[in-house]
Amino acid sequence: MATQRTPLPNLQPVLLGIGFALLVGISAATVYLVDRSADDTQRLSQTLSVEDKLSNVLLSVRRAESSQRGYLFTNDTKYLAEFYEAEPEARQLVEELRTLTRENPARQTTLNDISKHLDAKFSEMAETVNRNQAGDAAGARRLVLSDQGRAITDSLRKVVDDAIIDEARLAAERTAQSRQTNRLLLYVTLAGAAFIVLIGAASVGLVQRNARQRETARAELESTNVNLERIVEYRTADLTEANEEIQRFAYIVSHDLRSPLVNIMGFTSELEALRADIFDQIRRLSADLENLKAQASDAATHSEIDRLGADFDEAIRFIKTSIGNMDRLINAVLKLSREGRREFRPERVDMDEVLASITATVTHRAVELGARIEVAPLPSIETDRLAVEQIFANLVDNALKYGREGEPLHIEIMGRASGTHVIYDVRDNGRGIDAADHARVFELFRRSGPQDRPGEGIGLAHVRALVRRLGGTMGLSSTLGQGSTFTVTLPRRWTPGNRSKV
Amino acid sequence: MNSRTSEQPVQIVMIEDDEGHARLIEKNIRRAGVNNPIAPFANGTEALRYLFGADGSGLVNKGKPLLILLDLNLPDMTGVDILKKVKTNEHLKRVPVVVLTTTDDAVEIQRCYDLGCNVYITKPVNYENFANAIRQLGLFFSVIQVPSPT
Repeated sequence: MATQRTPLPNLQPVLLGIGFALLVGISAATVYLVDRSADDTQRLSQTLSVEDKLSNVLLSVRRAESSQRGYLFTNDTKYLAEFYEAEPEARQLVEELRTLTRENPARQTTLNDISKHLDAKFSEMAETVNRNQAGDAAGARRLVLSDQGRAITDSLRKVVDDAIIDEARLAAERTAQSRQTNRLLLYVTLAGAAFIVLIGAASVGLVQRNARQRETARAELESTNVNLERIVEYRTADLTEANEEIQRFAYIVSHDLRSPLVNIMGFTSELEALRADIFDQIRRLSADLENLKAQASDAATHSEIDRLGADFDEAIRFIKTSIGNMDRLINAVLKLSREGRREFRPERVDMDEVLASITATVTHRAVELGARIEVAPLPSIETDRLAVEQIFANLVDNALKYGREGEPLHIEIMGRASGTHVIYDVRDNGRGIDAADHARVFELFRRSGPQDRPGEGIGLAHVRALVRRLGGTMGLSSTLGQGSTFTVTLPRRWTPGNRSKV
Repeated sequence: MNSRTSEQPVQIVMIEDDEGHARLIEKNIRRAGVNNPIAPFANGTEALRYLFGADGSGLVNKGKPLLILLDLNLPDMTGVDILKKVKTNEHLKRVPVVVLTTTDDAVEIQRCYDLGCNVYITKPVNYENFANAIRQLGLFFSVIQVPSPT
């Protein structure tokens, strides 16, 4: 019923699911990337802080050195306060660095190295200060001049510088990583947005398509409803027609079966009366017999007996004929009813073949009558073979039967396809049927025109019943004295239940 | 049924396709003492030819005292058609028509009276009733006034 279209019933939920999954994925990726970006930033600032603190360690050493020099040079003790502050400051910085770089084992080693340098440097500086305090200014100076301290400082600076360079490298690395993470984040966000727009568009498309499908379905439903109404109308008309037919049938059967009964009852009663007459006559005759033994037989009595005998015979004859008629009528009704119950078996029927076989069986009769039968190429049909054979055999037989005096009979059989139906015409140039009898000829036991041909008025009733059962219609156009055309319209394919609805 | 107003005896035209019915009707009419000539016809075509003549005008029977006994179910046409033709023909419309049939359908009876049938009799299957009906019809024949020729 519906036009075939690609079935996509569950695509929408699938799309929705994909959309949700994408959203969740993008969110997770974003959260992860944002987290990573924050991490990167934190690491970067940590690196910068490490660089700063490393410089500060060197600075503390320098401050200690300068305050040591100041003290040694001036002997002013105010320099000592700064000197003593510098060492814990440097140690404190190293401790802080240890905490900051606890995940970097190389840096821990560097810090150990730095600590050792600090130990050496501060102990060297403390030695000079101690010597100076003990009054050994020359010893202190000697120690300073020995350049031992400077070597330590240089070594320390080299270690710190290396570490700073390393940290700078790390910082550059981390900056690059952070930039990459941010770019990735941007890409993921853009891709996600693009996907969501796509899915949105697909969803809108689907919704529109669904709406269209719903609209189509609604329209289909509406037209089905209209069709249904038409089907109901057809069926009702069918039923009305069938009902009228049954009534006509009952009327005809009751009348025609009653007629022989009137005869049977009538002549039986006549026989009864005759019987009384005959026995009276016999009684009288046997009484007379004694008296009239010598006399010649009474001519009048003989003729009376002959008359009674004739009446008797006539009554018997009518009773027998009427019983025969009733039998014939009942058989005809039975035949029709049996035909009405026979199961149809649809099959491909080659109508050319069917008509060829029908005309072959009537060839002899046609030759005798001087009739010409022409069969045009006929469209084939899918229906019950026996039924169409009976239909056309009856129609051809009728055409042959009712020819016109002094006119060579010409019978034509033509056919054409028209949409879901095929139409066959059986045309003759016979005596034709009066317009008043066009409906009547299809009724059971009814005939038209002069009753000069044998027949019981069953053929056309049978034909019409068969055509109706095949889902077709029977048409007749005829002019009295010019010929008749019987038109049989049948569905191209018979299916149970397509009783006439043309 | 020797009409008192006519010298010609009334002719009974019996249109009955069943030969047995025709015999029974005739027997019982005779038993009722009616001796008028009866012209039997077994089908409508022949009866119409007789009633309306070869030219179909009915002029042939103009003024003749006729009485039609008509069966409704004929092989070649319905009696109703004949009734209609008779009652609409200017020469035959006054001819009494007795419809005698096995059909006791009320609609059919009404239709016949509407078309101008004079008597409608249902043939009963029961013979005594049938014989009675015909005999009464015979009595009816003896009293009705068949229109005189003008």
